[in-house]
Amino acid sequence: MASLSLSNLNKIYDNNVQAVFDFNLDVKDGELIVLVGPSGCGKSTTLRMVAGLEDITSGQLIIDGKDVTQMPAKDRDIAMVFQNYALYAHMTVYENMAFSLTLRKEDPNVIHEKVLAAAEILGLTDQLNKKPRQLSGGQRQRVAMGRAIVRKPKVFLFDEPLSNLDAKLRGATRREILLLHKRLGATMLYVTHDQTEALTLADRIVCMSMGYVQQIGTPLELYDTPANVFVASFIGLPPMNMFDGVVEGGQITCQGFAYPLSESERELLREHEGKAVILGVRPENVVPDDEGYLEMDVTLNENLGQNTLVHGNVGGHRTTAKVRDWCSYRKGDRVRFSFNRVHFFDKETTNAIR
Amino acid sequence: MNRDLKLIKKDRLRYTKNKLSSTLAILAIVFDCLYFVSIYSSDVGNYFYNYIIGASVVYNLLFLLCTFLSSEGVKSYKLNYATLLIGVGVMQIVRIFYIPLKAHSELVKVGTENIPAMANGQFTYVVICLCLSAAACIASGAIGIYKSVTLKRYQESLKA
Repeated sequence: MASLSLSNLNKIYDNNVQAVFDFNLDVKDGELIVLVGPSGCGKSTTLRMVAGLEDITSGQLIIDGKDVTQMPAKDRDIAMVFQNYALYAHMTVYENMAFSLTLRKEDPNVIHEKVLAAAEILGLTDQLNKKPRQLSGGQRQRVAMGRAIVRKPKVFLFDEPLSNLDAKLRGATRREILLLHKRLGATMLYVTHDQTEALTLADRIVCMSMGYVQQIGTPLELYDTPANVFVASFIGLPPMNMFDGVVEGGQITCQGFAYPLSESERELLREHEGKAVILGVRPENVVPDDEGYLEMDVTLNENLGQNTLVHGNVGGHRTTAKVRDWCSYRKGDRVRFSFNRVHFFDKETTNAIR
Repeated sequence: MNRDLKLIKKDRLRYTKNKLSSTLAILAIVFDCLYFVSIYSSDVGNYFYNYIIGASVVYNLLFLLCTFLSSEGVKSYKLNYATLLIGVGVMQIVRIFYIPLKAHSELVKVGTENIPAMANGQFTYVVICLCLSAAACIASGAIGIYKSVTLKRYQESLKA
């Protein structure tokens, strides 16, 4: 396995569209990094640049201390797992997994041992004589992973590998990838637009938008201390509630309610007195409180079993509360809430105020 | 060869196809094609226009069919197809003594001259083609039988 260093990577296509701006990342040996962001944010382009499938316009890519920026894809010793599996339909699972090693003209007995070992890890031993069409989506993706494993590459790249699977299978395969990472101790770069995948899999997450890195950090860092409004609203399900307000007289006045600032919050927002800020509150931090300062006009009550999502309007803002009880609110009910934790963002820069 | 390596080789048979036998069978078809193209393009008097050639055409079709099916059969270690290939290979040897040998030893009157129905050069060529075709068939069958039996025994040992 290997470390990976991406320095000032830029990607400009022939039509002058810049997909990636000044991407910097150091991946440690054995680390699982997840690139997350909405469609078109440049995460797949970055991954393809690492794989060698896209030219790097400027910047430097170093794998295990060696500059591979201009090196052809085949020489980089990187394995990539694609969303659509990319298996050879006419070959059996065994042949698919052995194919790359056969091309390298490795000894057939060695290939056999490697394939059996990978199949054992992935629970594919009984499927080795089957063709891909005889397998389920999850099994096919495991074959694609097996094909990567047998090569023992320096770095594994995953490009939205679970997107073609149904929800149940996605969860199961996600756990398998995590177990695989723990077992192999491999350096992995994983691209997804699914924040659940990002939060559950990653050692560190790179959150991207419009080609720019918005924040790099552990899942907890991104969830607990988002760097800006984009990260705050992208990470977390349901997304964070955002209220525009103005800091004045020890409170933040928003449309429909005023949030009273604690002593420490006043200190934090001292320089923003009289200025516009964004108040961010995660749905689980919106708690029912008979004497709460926020009155929600309920529009929808979604019971999820262990908790309830209460959707409503607060002064024209669409607001969601995640209540840890079984609730039976009806449309038109007026319920009082307060916040037990909030985030502050500068309205102008959208950056977090810390 | 150490014991582990032998075991790995046997185990590989469970997941890999018998491509060698299959390729040899296809090679046998190629040599047979070279043979019959040479025979059917011969035009020495009316010698080749008789029922033997008709039978030869039918046999060639059967040969092509059997050998092609066998090439697929041996690929997946089917013992009966391997046996069939050996039979077909023997028949290729037998064929030398029919059209090629008879045509080579028979004289045909063309104009005022008596010439052999099959010249030395062509005779040597078709005999080589048939011999190579036979050798490929027999080798394919023999390898097929060996691998099929080995695989069968190995699978039985795994079950036990």
